[in-house]
Order: sequence, then structure tokens, then C-alpha cells
Amino acid sequence: MRLRKPIIRKLITSAIVGVCLGLCPVVAGAAEIIVNASVPSAHYSRADTRAIFAMHLRIWPNGEPIKVFTLTDDDPVHKDFVKNSLDMFPHQFRRAWDRMIYSGTGIAPVQLDSEREMIEKVTNTPNAIGYVSKKPDSNAQIRLFDYQ
Amino acid sequence: MRKFVCSIINSGLSLGILWSLPLAGRAGDLPDEIQVHGFLAQSLFHTSDNNLFGQSDDGISLGITEIGLNSSYKPSNRLSFAIQGLYRRAGNIDRGSVRVDYGLADLTLWEYTSGRLGLRGGRVKVPLGLYNETRDVAFTHPTILLPQGNYFERSRSLLTSGDGGQFYAEQHTGYGDFNFKFNYVVPLGNNQEIRSIQLGPFARGEFEAQPTVVTQLSYELNGGEYVFAVSYADLQLDYHPLAGDRFGPGTSFVRPLMLSAQYNGEKLTLTGEYNYRRNVVKGYGILPNSRFTTESWYVEGSYRFLPNWQVTVRYDTIYANTDNRNGMGFERIGLPNHAAYAQDWTFGLRWDINRSWMVRGEYHRVHGTMWLPQADNPDRLHTTQEDWDLFGVQISFRF
Repeated sequence: MRLRKPIIRKLITSAIVGVCLGLCPVVAGAAEIIVNASVPSAHYSRADTRAIFAMHLRIWPNGEPIKVFTLTDDDPVHKDFVKNSLDMFPHQFRRAWDRMIYSGTGIAPVQLDSEREMIEKVTNTPNAIGYVSKKPDSNAQIRLFDYQ
Repeated sequence: MRKFVCSIINSGLSLGILWSLPLAGRAGDLPDEIQVHGFLAQSLFHTSDNNLFGQSDDGISLGITEIGLNSSYKPSNRLSFAIQGLYRRAGNIDRGSVRVDYGLADLTLWEYTSGRLGLRGGRVKVPLGLYNETRDVAFTHPTILLPQGNYFERSRSLLTSGDGGQFYAEQHTGYGDFNFKFNYVVPLGNNQEIRSIQLGPFARGEFEAQPTVVTQLSYELNGGEYVFAVSYADLQLDYHPLAGDRFGPGTSFVRPLMLSAQYNGEKLTLTGEYNYRRNVVKGYGILPNSRFTTESWYVEGSYRFLPNWQVTVRYDTIYANTDNRNGMGFERIGLPNHAAYAQDWTFGLRWDINRSWMVRGEYHRVHGTMWLPQADNPDRLHTTQEDWDLFGVQISFRF
């Protein structure tokens, strides 16, 4: 019984999310974080997610290196994702990345030009994380990234 | 005039080449393990009095040219390499030189899901205040000139990067990110401006910097919405006089303690930094041995009134010696009294045209001449004015 409770809760949550996605396909701030299927499921916080996209957090809980993909700074989906999913602003990420790129202390995420490219990269790159404006078509190599 | 025109043509050519440069840092062109980035900035200055980076008084100086190209390579999870070459020209202080800005191997000693510890060795950047590590990259700060009371252009080479090592530790928590750096490096600086700052224009010998400790602890909340940092450096400069020099083989100790705070909102950014610098000078003979404090701070507000437009207002102040704020007796070492301080009001406007190009302009009203370069003003006692205006424009490119 103790094992089944979380499963039931998950099912209910999934049902609610599913209904919402079906009923309201266009919602402001609806950017979805996607990960390659190889990324381990774990309890990720929003602070973790921010640190991943800031390139500060560099490995998944299983020790594999995180591969971060973003769209360009001026892409509306990027702006929406940063603001509504992470409660930050694009210039904050730009500051964090620039400090690393130009001082030799880290690297920036790989920037992509389109959501199509994003889906392709996250699908084909183990340990990858990225985001898209809406839930992609079913694809065994991609799943939505859960964080609280 | 011919030199000026040539320089303009050169800068124009460089910009043209960059305009057509493929964005090599973008996906698809290189494997993900290798990244290449670069930047270029060209500025022009005009001053009502006093010269800055060339003949800016009653003319236009070509200011500062900065061209940088860097690459990083990460062959494994624990090891990475990074190098940056920098071409820089800054009036008569630096008539144009290329050097390795940083070149390092980065070894992660221990990494876990919420942080890591590691070592960087080679030529590493010096973490001092919010901007020192990326001070030459125009895009990383709101105005052309960083607040000069805290980020002297004239003595920049002393603390820009150093040869040695850096220990670092990062910890990410639900209530903010901590970042610690500890450098033990030999500073690269050994130039005439540093000699002039220490001993005035009459000194003829050379300064040699001893291995230096520079350390910084920073704390960032909400992904950098709030940033706080404490930085400290302990510099020792040994003076080697020339035969007939009026100064003896003295030593200067410079120990800056810098407190930094920043708020990064959606439209508003507020920044303040305070620098309390203890100085000890001894053994110069003609100068009495002494201990004194240099104090500087600034407050700055930037507002993004349109997505790609930012206006900045800043007040920046410095006193060379808090026990002698008026510069009494400075003429003995060939400097005017107003070389003992500088108060600078800055008004700037920045336009990020697109993700690669940026232009900005600024106006400074300055009281005092402490951070004026000696090289651009050889006879500071007689030719510099206490109150002056400075206008600057800059165009910058990055990839």
C-alpha cells in the first residue's frame, strides 16, 4: 500500500496535466523543459534547474555530464522559458555565461536556432537538457523534465 | 592626422572582417567539446581638458582597442583547457600589444551534484570585485570605462591576470550559490604607470611584483538576482632604482579589500562596490616610510527602458590617502594636488543592436585627476586641470 500511494498521486497529476495540455494548448509561460531519456529521474528543484542552465551544475545524479542546449538570447521562446519557467531574466544568464566564457572558467550552453533543432539535439544527445514552447510529439528518446 | 586616419581604416577593416566572420561559437560548426568565442571593441574619447588614451584634449583620441579570441576544450569530465589571446591598444599607456590573457588547465578534484572543488594552473584571471576578470570584454559591463576609482585603467596590468594557480570551490544550495577562489600568482604588471602611481613621474627604476595572494568569496541568490562578494589581495612591489635615481630600493605593499553588491532586476540593475586599500611604503629614502589608506567606492544604477536599450548613472569617488585628501605636498613628487582624488559622475547609454553588436556612449564630469594616465599627460603638474569633461563612444562586436 505504501508503494502505491505515490503512483496514484502521479497518475492523478499526469491526468490533470494531460487535461490541461489538451484543453489549453496555448498558455503563457508554457515552455516545457525536455531531457534525453538517458537522464536519471530524481527530485530536482527549481534552484537545481536554474543552476543547470547557468552551467553551474555540471553533472546528473548518476555522474554523467549535463549537456545543455538553449535557443538564442533574443528568441521569444528563450525569453518565455527563462522568465516563466525559471523566474529569471535572460540578461542574468548572459552575465553568468559571459563571466565563464571570457575568464576561462567555464563554457556556455550550445545555442540553437530553432525548436526543431532543439528536439533533434535533445533526442540524439545522451544526458541532454533543453526546452521547447510546447510538449513535443511522442518520442521514446525524449521526456519532460520534472522539477519542483 | 595621418596616423589617426590609418588607425580608423585599420579599425574599420577589422570590423568589416568580423562582420563577415562566421559565428564559429554556434552549434554545428565545431564539436561540443570545443568552444570558440571572441570580441572586439573600439572606442573614441574627447575631453575638455587633460588627455585620456591619446590626444583627447581639443581632439579625438582613438581610446582603447580590444580584440580577444578564446577557445576552450574539454577532453574529459574532470579536465579542461582554456586560452585567450588579447590585442590591446590604449593611448600612450599601451601602443598596441598582443599577449596571452589567460591560458590554463582546469582540473576538477571532486565533483558532486551540488558543487565542486578544483585547481586551475597556468595563467589565470584575478578575481577582484565584480568586473575584474572580464574587464576587457566590453559586453560584460554597462559603460565604456569601468568606475576608475576601483578599476584603474592605468595600472590594470598588475591585477588583470597572473601566472600561478587558483583553487576554487563552488556550492549550490536552495538558498543561494557560493563561489570561492584563492589565487596564488605572480602578477604580470611592471609598467611605468604603476611606478608613477607609487612614486610620481621622477622615478626611473623598475618595479617587480612578488607572488601575490588574491581571494574572493561570492554569494548569489536567485540565479544572480542578488550578488554579494568580498575580495582581498596582498600585493608586494619591490623597487629596483637606476643609478642616480632619487629613490632608494624601497618596497610598497598594497592590500585592497573590496566589498561588492549588486541587484539584477528585470529592468533595473543597482551596483555598489567599496574598496578599502591599505598601503605600506618603506625604504625609498626620499619618501618617509608610511602607512596610509586609499579609499574608493561607487554606486551605479542601470535601467533597461526598452529591451535593448540601457541607461546608466554612476557616482565614483577615490581618495589616494584618507589622511591627506587634498594632496598637500604632492608637488614634491611632481604631481598637482588634484592628483590625490577623483570624483566622477557618469551618464551612459547603451544599445545592444543584436546578439553580436553593441554601441554605447557616455559623458563624465570629473573633479580631480587621480586616475589620469601619466603616459598621456607627461607634465601633470602644469598641464592637467582639476575639473574636466569626458565624452566617449564605443562600438563592440562579439561571437
